[in-house]
Amino acid sequence: MSLYERLGGEPAFTAAVDEFYRRMLLDERVAHFFADVDMQGQIAKQKAFLTFVTGGPAEYTGEDMRTAHAHLKSRGIDDEHVDVVIEHLGATLIGLGASQDDVAEVAQLAESVRADVLGR
Amino acid sequence: MSAQDAIIEVDGRRIECPPGATVLSALEQAGLDVPSGCRAGTCKKCMVQADGPAPAAAQRGLRAQLADQGFFLACQACPADPPAQATVRLRDPRGPAPVSAHVNGIDAVAPDVARIFLTVEAELPYRPGQYVDVLHPSGATRSYSLASLPEDGRLEMHVRRVPNGQVSGWLHGLDPGDELRLRGPFGLCYYVDDAPAQRLLLIGAGTGLAPLVGIARSALACGHTGPIDLVHGGLTPERLYLRDELGALAEQHPSLRVHHCVLRDATEREHQGALDEVALRVAGPLAETRAYLCGDDAIVRTLQRGLFLAGLPSGEIHADPFEPARPAGAPG
Repeated sequence: MSLYERLGGEPAFTAAVDEFYRRMLLDERVAHFFADVDMQGQIAKQKAFLTFVTGGPAEYTGEDMRTAHAHLKSRGIDDEHVDVVIEHLGATLIGLGASQDDVAEVAQLAESVRADVLGR
Repeated sequence: MSAQDAIIEVDGRRIECPPGATVLSALEQAGLDVPSGCRAGTCKKCMVQADGPAPAAAQRGLRAQLADQGFFLACQACPADPPAQATVRLRDPRGPAPVSAHVNGIDAVAPDVARIFLTVEAELPYRPGQYVDVLHPSGATRSYSLASLPEDGRLEMHVRRVPNGQVSGWLHGLDPGDELRLRGPFGLCYYVDDAPAQRLLLIGAGTGLAPLVGIARSALACGHTGPIDLVHGGLTPERLYLRDELGALAEQHPSLRVHHCVLRDATEREHQGALDEVALRVAGPLAETRAYLCGDDAIVRTLQRGLFLAGLPSGEIHADPFEPARPAGAPG
């Protein structure tokens, strides 16, 4: 059984992605990247990301992630910002009932996305 | 084609969709360019709109207004699989054809705002709060939301005269009987009666009042039982319009409360302050609340963010972006 299913599947993730996005908007280290984005669209994308990293039904292509974040390079997106996202990801999953081991596993999977997000 | 294939009709073409195939894969196979993302029903990028019945299983997780208008996720629809749907017709990507309308009346309701009533000869099935595109003879188009109910028998739009505005200036100069063309309806900012006891929070600035009036009136007409808080914002008290009419509506329906908000020169009849702050204050606790936000892009974004950070779930926040980013397959 995937972590996605263990944590309650789609209904649980609908609420969790709101929580995840709220954390980002309230964190001044990353909030400025979200100042001018379409909130509903961004939440849908982040839900797909959370679903993917917890083994739920979402396919992921590094190319999508690369294209989606390309415009943030000139705005200074860097390793520290990815760290912040992974931190909030972990806290959100703990809030859903995940264990520290689960979070470590998810963080590892999220790490694999780092190079794509940062365009390396 | 085998007996079990379903057919997808799109833009005059008939595309076969064999068992096991999704609408997305069949469209791609046929060489059509359809945006897609997760291909698992989560990211909603591949949303298309059916003209007629939509594959219901592919509407899971969509908000009620989208399902109601036949939107579905192309990656989740397997029309040839049981329960099979022989034909899925997709809506013409060019959108509805323009219809002709006549000016039925024009009232000046504020220094720069006119309430324009139109009668349409053709059928224009709309939901109050949706918008139409008005076509200027030069080819320019502008979107205006509808404050009327279909049973009124005429459309009602609120038009602010924009300084040097080509379309708004022309609209303000029209006379009863004049003809114009419009296209629509569009948009998802309207009432659905899936939660009649919920509190509705309707917040708008300027002519963003028009869709809110439509939503409030249609909720009341549908027998909505929850409280309805309507907050209208403007720069100064004289910019707020339709106050008597809203007051009369609230008197008739005790569940409706109307609040006014201005940035300056408030009297005892208005709250003073930024619309998002005033709205959050008059709204109070946001449990069991659904919000509709209307106005220009900047104010809608501010309101959206304020309500979301105050704890309202994103799925309960309804707003049409001022320049709508229409979903894939939706009328462009």
